[in-house]
Amino acid sequence: MNRLTALLAKVMLAGTLVSAAIIAAGLIWYLSAHLGTPPGDHIFAGEPKYYESPVEMARHALALDQIGHRRSLVMIGVFLLLLNPLIRVALASVGYLLGGDRLYAAISAVVFAVLLVSFFW
Amino acid sequence: MTQPLFDIAVAAASFFAGMVGAMIGLGGGIIITPLLVLGFGIDMRYAMGAALCSVIATSSGAAAAYLRDGISNMQIGMFLCIATTIGAVCGAMLAVVLDQSLLAIIFGAALLVTVALSLGKRSEALVEPDDSDPLAKSLRLPGTFPSDRGPVRYGVASVVPGFLIMWVAGVLSGLLGIGSGAFKVVAMDQIMRIPFKVTTATSNFMIGVTAAASVGIYLKKGYLDPALVAPVALGVLAGAFAGARLLTVVPVKLLRGIFLVAVTVIAVQMIARGMGISIG
Repeated sequence: MNRLTALLAKVMLAGTLVSAAIIAAGLIWYLSAHLGTPPGDHIFAGEPKYYESPVEMARHALALDQIGHRRSLVMIGVFLLLLNPLIRVALASVGYLLGGDRLYAAISAVVFAVLLVSFFW
Repeated sequence: MTQPLFDIAVAAASFFAGMVGAMIGLGGGIIITPLLVLGFGIDMRYAMGAALCSVIATSSGAAAAYLRDGISNMQIGMFLCIATTIGAVCGAMLAVVLDQSLLAIIFGAALLVTVALSLGKRSEALVEPDDSDPLAKSLRLPGTFPSDRGPVRYGVASVVPGFLIMWVAGVLSGLLGIGSGAFKVVAMDQIMRIPFKVTTATSNFMIGVTAAASVGIYLKKGYLDPALVAPVALGVLAGAFAGARLLTVVPVKLLRGIFLVAVTVIAVQMIARGMGISIG
């Protein structure tokens, strides 16, 4: 169990730092193309549909000719950040299972299922 | 004002919110949303989306440190996460249909309760491991935490009431885009009688998982604007880190008092905003 907690701590810290770095890089890149644009968060308009799927997000980030590709890079960083807790719970579940703790492997699996439903439903 | 200047201002405010949050023991999420709404005129939905992302960022960072120190109780955290994640999904589904002004009022009220809770006394009456709730025993919730005098064993009481209150904490988290750490701590500390140190550490582990359950719904409803999420999440994360460091060198009691008064004023303004009254 101690090795699992140590691994979890490392994954969580690394995941946070990596996603923060991608978000920061994406933000600077995005802002450099919008030096004169006025901010638009005063009125809620909803965000484009392509942010719903990671595959679409990646496609937009890589397609250099498309509007919004710089924002998509920020969004990929945000998405990685949001995946952090999911990975945390999945790892815990596998760790419990390998350690022979079926009760807590099942409990973690239930939490993971709720997260999956909320994300990909 | 242009987008870059706006984002720098938002990042600075988020840094401040994260720092204050770390110092007075509230999360950054419950402080940054009113700042964005009242100070920057941002729509409540975008503000909640950005705040919830910042909650995930800070809780992952803080929880990593606690896990390493062996204070968190993974069993308690994971078991109660069933309640908080289901609650968070319910809360987020409610948030997308409720009227914005009603949400602002609920937010202000939750903020006032949070301040009251953080002023309240901690429960010192711990339970002996052998006197634990039988359900807690079969779930193997009682544990130990490290102290100066070696490991301390502790018991866990009232599992079912604690579980139900955790569901409510989850609903609030999804409904308002906050970590609802203060409510989680109450359920564990006051009701389940878990030692405060363990409670705080375990709640940090749970906050990120709970927030993740509602953020997927926020994402689908278009609440996450990357141009806003980025400065808020990075600002709060850096601020929380700085705040945790500053805790050892600043007059915490005085600052805590000042900030709690400020947060109370903000809460009242949120309620007034929701009711359509403009003050200050």
